[in-house]
Amino acid sequence: MSVATRELRRRPGRFAFVGIALALLSTLLLLLGGLLDGLVLGSTGAFRAQDAPVFVYSADAQDSFLRSRITPAERDQIAAAPGVTGTAGLGLTLDAGRLEGTTGTDNLLDLAVMGYEQGTNVLPAPPGPGEAYADAALQDDGVTEGSTILVGLGEIPVRVVGFVDDTSYLLQPALWVDLDTWRQVQTASRPDAAVADGVVQVVLVDGTGTPESLVTAVDDATGGATSSLTRDEAIFSLPGTAEQNATFTALIGTTIFVVGLITSLFFILLTVERRSLYAAMKALGVGTGALVRWSMLQALLVAGTAFVLGGLVTLGLAQALAGQIPLLLEPTRAVVTFVLLLATAAIGSLIPLRRIIRIDPASAIS
Amino acid sequence: MGPINLALREMRRRAGRFVILVGAVTVLVFFLLFQQALLGGLVSEFVGALRNNDADGFVYGELARDNLQASVVAPDTVAAVGAVDGVRQAGPVGVGTFTASVSAPAPDDRRDVTLFGYELGGPGGPDNVTDGRLPQAPGEALASDAGAGFAVGDTVELADGGTISIVGVGDELSFSVTPTLFVSFDTYAQARTAQNPDASMVPPSAVAVWVDQGADPAAVMAAIDAAVPGVDALTRTQAADEAPGVASVQQSFSVILLLGWLTVGTVIGFFFLILTTQKLPQLTLLRAMGVHTAELAGAVATQIVIVVAAGFALGALGTTQALSGGSSGLNASLSGGDLGSAAAILGVLAAIALAVSAWRIRGLDPVDAVDQGADL
Repeated sequence: MSVATRELRRRPGRFAFVGIALALLSTLLLLLGGLLDGLVLGSTGAFRAQDAPVFVYSADAQDSFLRSRITPAERDQIAAAPGVTGTAGLGLTLDAGRLEGTTGTDNLLDLAVMGYEQGTNVLPAPPGPGEAYADAALQDDGVTEGSTILVGLGEIPVRVVGFVDDTSYLLQPALWVDLDTWRQVQTASRPDAAVADGVVQVVLVDGTGTPESLVTAVDDATGGATSSLTRDEAIFSLPGTAEQNATFTALIGTTIFVVGLITSLFFILLTVERRSLYAAMKALGVGTGALVRWSMLQALLVAGTAFVLGGLVTLGLAQALAGQIPLLLEPTRAVVTFVLLLATAAIGSLIPLRRIIRIDPASAIS
Repeated sequence: MGPINLALREMRRRAGRFVILVGAVTVLVFFLLFQQALLGGLVSEFVGALRNNDADGFVYGELARDNLQASVVAPDTVAAVGAVDGVRQAGPVGVGTFTASVSAPAPDDRRDVTLFGYELGGPGGPDNVTDGRLPQAPGEALASDAGAGFAVGDTVELADGGTISIVGVGDELSFSVTPTLFVSFDTYAQARTAQNPDASMVPPSAVAVWVDQGADPAAVMAAIDAAVPGVDALTRTQAADEAPGVASVQQSFSVILLLGWLTVGTVIGFFFLILTTQKLPQLTLLRAMGVHTAELAGAVATQIVIVVAAGFALGALGTTQALSGGSSGLNASLSGGDLGSAAAILGVLAAIALAVSAWRIRGLDPVDAVDQGADL
């Protein structure tokens, strides 16, 4: 161990190549992971805030929240389905608004106006008419408790009575209101998508049995007029979520592969360079295992340092690009990236193992 | 032995390390080209219908925040915009997503489609028809060719009622990452009403504008903003580039691509520097025997060119194969320009790598060969 660390201390320049490359790749991995988290978590907060195990859409909506419509009659059928113990309506309008007293397009707030009728672990019970719980992200735009937001084309006044965390929908911060207030906003802002009294877009279902059995029971009870999804399915049915997840996961996987390739390339070169040194050490009785551990330790130390450098660069980029890209740096993502980087670097350092084993101690004196 | 022969012989003798380097460059080039294609595909799928539209500009409701899908304008806004100086013609545009399926000639599964309604013969239509023709009557559509499987002659049935005949197909006309059908505004309005029976009216989403011959679209849009209250007028380019998601996607991918190219440069540069450093005794000896620096640098240059060219060719081939397999789920493709600019960047990085190695070779003192011999 002391040989490995001493070499790193005495000849850091030798490891600069792999260190810089791994630092760049660490930055890339953290950015890709941060973008994925920013896009997925920022898009799905409103759904993750729900406790219900089943989300019910109208069948012809293709699992689209905005196009789904559940009539009161259909809701009655859902409530009567075997195993269902409770239902709650949900409605959504993607809209804009502005704080009372402000003017101009620069002061507009992106809003996902969510109508709801059941509190959850994240959401308090619905507020009174004309009141709202605002997503905490709106605080960055100057919204405070007691603020009045004029929502949509109808400039419907909604007073903020509290804040909730992590409830955005498709990167738009949510404004949680009661269903009647939501219908007012929807009808004023989207006259072509107005909803009648009692109509909701999605029905949340609680019940006994598994979510899958509830899904079947509800869709059977409505005669196929509904398309029910489990909570996880509903989250991944949000526009773009599954595609973003697949694309970014593939990019992260490719980057990890490149990490392994570069590390192995570097250690192959290093092994070639150290051949006579390894032969001499073997002649002095140092085992192959010790030599491999030497390389692996160096790989781990270089990768660890590179991760720290890459992390600092990523933090700098996150500061510089704040608000321009949906980057969310989560500690768990950083830990996973760190472990993946170290594991891949360690595996990469094992690639020249065969060359090390084949080194003949006798070559030290030949 | 010339520098090229020297370089080739070394590559043959130490094939393993060069194969790994080619592999690393191949993977990195694949990675970068694939992302480049994804970026182009994503942007095209988001706003192709705006980019390849014949309108010079679009007028949104002021609450839209550059989002056509969130935009609503009052019906009388169309006439108000049409009356502004510099506007040749204005027409309503309606955009919405619907559930649909092809019912003929062969029925298939339901899918999401975007209806892009505009006044037939007026602004707002597509400008790159690749097959068939533009719609000329209600109930006809030109479809975006985004791998959605629409073809001229298909009949599309909307889930909430109504049928549409495909009379034309065009490239890069998708909107909001769904296949898009350009139809008459009336067809769009009927579909909207069928989808939302409670709708009190179907207002336009926006107003499409043709400006007078020779007029500057940006100046006309500014005039519209000044003359018509409650609207936000954008040129076609602004409408496409400032649409939600597009700017952030472009910025995110730019950072990723920059980091990727830096990694490629680091790998190529340092690898050849290490190789050069490992061969310093031999190179010093060759210098002492009269081989000129340029010849030795030429050998390194030959190796760099071969490694980079092979890595680029294999990476580009892999990318085109992956894209043709549709693995991205997007209408992503690589243009000649994409490949050309990637090759140019790689060429510059290779030149930098060569310069670093050549600098190291140039610093060799032939006398050191004698010293090395004395050491022996």
